[in-house]
Amino acid sequence: MKSVLLRGATVALFLGALAYPALAEDAADTIKIGVVAAESGAFVSAGHTLPAGVSLAVKEINDEGGVKVGDKTYKLELLKRDDRTDISTAIAATQELVRDEKVAAIFGSETHDFTLAMAKITQPAKVLHFAGNSTLAKVLTDSSVASGGEDHYLFQTEPQEFQRSGSTARGVLKLLEPLVGHPLKKSVLIVGNDATGQFLSSYYLAALKSEGQEVPDIIFYPPDTTDFSPFLTRAKSLKPDVVHFWYNGDSTLTALPQALELGVAPSYFLFGVDPGIWKEQGLSADVPVAMSCVPVCWGESSNPKAKAYFDAYFAAGAPKGVTSSVSLLYYDYVHFLAEAWEKAGSLDPDKTVEALKTLHHKGVVSDDLAFNATHQVTHATEVCAAAPGGDITCAMQEPPADAPKQ
Amino acid sequence: MDILLQQILNGLSIASVITLIAVGVTLIFGLTGIINFAHGEFLMVGSIVTWLAVANGISFWLAIILAMIVVAVMGFALERGLFRFTLERPTNGFIVSLGLIIVLQHIVIFFWNANQKSVPRPLNTVWEIGGVRIASVRVMVIFVTAAVVAMTFVAITRSRYGRALRASVEDRDTAALMGIPVRRYITGVFVLGSALAGLGGGLLIALFPITPFTGGTMVMKGFAVALIGGLGNLTGAVVAGLILGIVEGLSAGYGFSEWTDAYSFGLMILVLLFRPNGLFGGTSGPKMA
Repeated sequence: MKSVLLRGATVALFLGALAYPALAEDAADTIKIGVVAAESGAFVSAGHTLPAGVSLAVKEINDEGGVKVGDKTYKLELLKRDDRTDISTAIAATQELVRDEKVAAIFGSETHDFTLAMAKITQPAKVLHFAGNSTLAKVLTDSSVASGGEDHYLFQTEPQEFQRSGSTARGVLKLLEPLVGHPLKKSVLIVGNDATGQFLSSYYLAALKSEGQEVPDIIFYPPDTTDFSPFLTRAKSLKPDVVHFWYNGDSTLTALPQALELGVAPSYFLFGVDPGIWKEQGLSADVPVAMSCVPVCWGESSNPKAKAYFDAYFAAGAPKGVTSSVSLLYYDYVHFLAEAWEKAGSLDPDKTVEALKTLHHKGVVSDDLAFNATHQVTHATEVCAAAPGGDITCAMQEPPADAPKQ
Repeated sequence: MDILLQQILNGLSIASVITLIAVGVTLIFGLTGIINFAHGEFLMVGSIVTWLAVANGISFWLAIILAMIVVAVMGFALERGLFRFTLERPTNGFIVSLGLIIVLQHIVIFFWNANQKSVPRPLNTVWEIGGVRIASVRVMVIFVTAAVVAMTFVAITRSRYGRALRASVEDRDTAALMGIPVRRYITGVFVLGSALAGLGGGLLIALFPITPFTGGTMVMKGFAVALIGGLGNLTGAVVAGLILGIVEGLSAGYGFSEWTDAYSFGLMILVLLFRPNGLFGGTSGPKMA
């Protein structure tokens, strides 16, 4: 028995030794990138779009031959990790990807706090980190992104929140006003009372006020609310021209039919609900309803490249969801990164950062994607409106140049 | 004035759904001693059954009957297969029910994903009286709840079965010596409570879209109402449900709206501090041998 085991071990070692050069060669020709996102748990709706978008980009790059860096051509290898909507799991997954797998870049997470925790691991290790959070302005400063700074390798792939809120507010009012038929002067916000809701609504409130809206009340509802009737009745008592539902798509879709039933306002805005979901669920309203997508809609779009992208995205098996468009906060940047490696002619993270800062990438979201001096991207947001008859019109809305004065 | 009336009506509507859950909780917890925190998931399963049935062309009215039957059968299987072994140790039953929450949620997610589910409204008419809008579907839910609670009340207080049940709550051993099949009665109460959860689930999805996680929030309020009213006390559950519904409606309408849930649970804490057996008095669960 002992001799059989010994022989087996010898054969395994021999085969392993034979295979090693081939494995080493494969590894040398491969660039590993990681994605950390919620593929289960409470944030699964947005989370599952990250690996789906990144996978599609990786497949397209590999199918076109790979990434040519200097004289060598590399294939991309994607390592996906589910953070289960749990910050500790996200940290553990990032540690494993950085220390054990030695990834060159990480994409994720969809959650601001998770990204900040992950950056504590990626940045000292000089791993390029792309996160589609609109809220990284506080950490991405001139000094933090400078060479040697603590966030030199961190990039924000979603416009800053004042830009997103600004373009959304402007687009919503511009699309709704002609459908309502009179000037829209008064808005009421109905917002989920959690950290994200409180944070986002403060920007959206400022954006509405900068558009000349009177906002008499922000009505916060407890997370997991199903019966919105008391909150909606309160909104109705304020006689608003528009009720804006922020920010959870599922809650918004629960609240809207109740609002229509109670006749709360002559128009509504649903943040983060794609017109595709509106159509798939057969929704209808007797008043105009605006919707916004982060950043481009899949159900209906004014962006000519969106259709081809989403056809490929859904054909790859990704489900059609309220926030499928979130995948575009990552997809474009895999291509962007590949272009940066090619331009830098090196996988060196510092040279790649320099290339990322000077490149202008033609993506789906925009023909001119570029990072500013503090590693943040700027582009338009798409807003759509469903008329009472069912017709949906969409428009890309450019963001304001500066944050409104509070 | 019309806004105040609307808020009171909203409160009644909220109260009806919470009361239906609370009746199931108060029966099972109060009369059998089983602390089933998965009762909300029973409700969610009722919603899923209704959704599946309606999606397959069955009428909503038949679908909610089907939901009651399926959840009742599920309740029977779980009581006989799990909870009966925890009757002498209610804490074990409580832990089992916590495990069941996760298991039932994940079974539903595995087969039907985590996305929202909804059914077309069975009734679409909205009446407007003096500026107050009344949705017929909400009125239907209020009437069904009132009818079911009334029937359950009669069954528990007037029937021979109900008297035997209450006797076994007072003293299980003596009731058994008198020839009352206590274990079978416990199963019966569990199945009845489960069927009510199935009905609640069917009614809930007629009002709002549901997710596999819907049950958790609802059951907390169900337990709050059961404890405020007094465990095992159906009148208490109805009155407490009404109080909680009106408190929720008015606090969301006129107070700090984000504190709506806090008002409800704050009220529960106050009642339990000053009236430990609830507003209308209740059992402390059956006395263990």
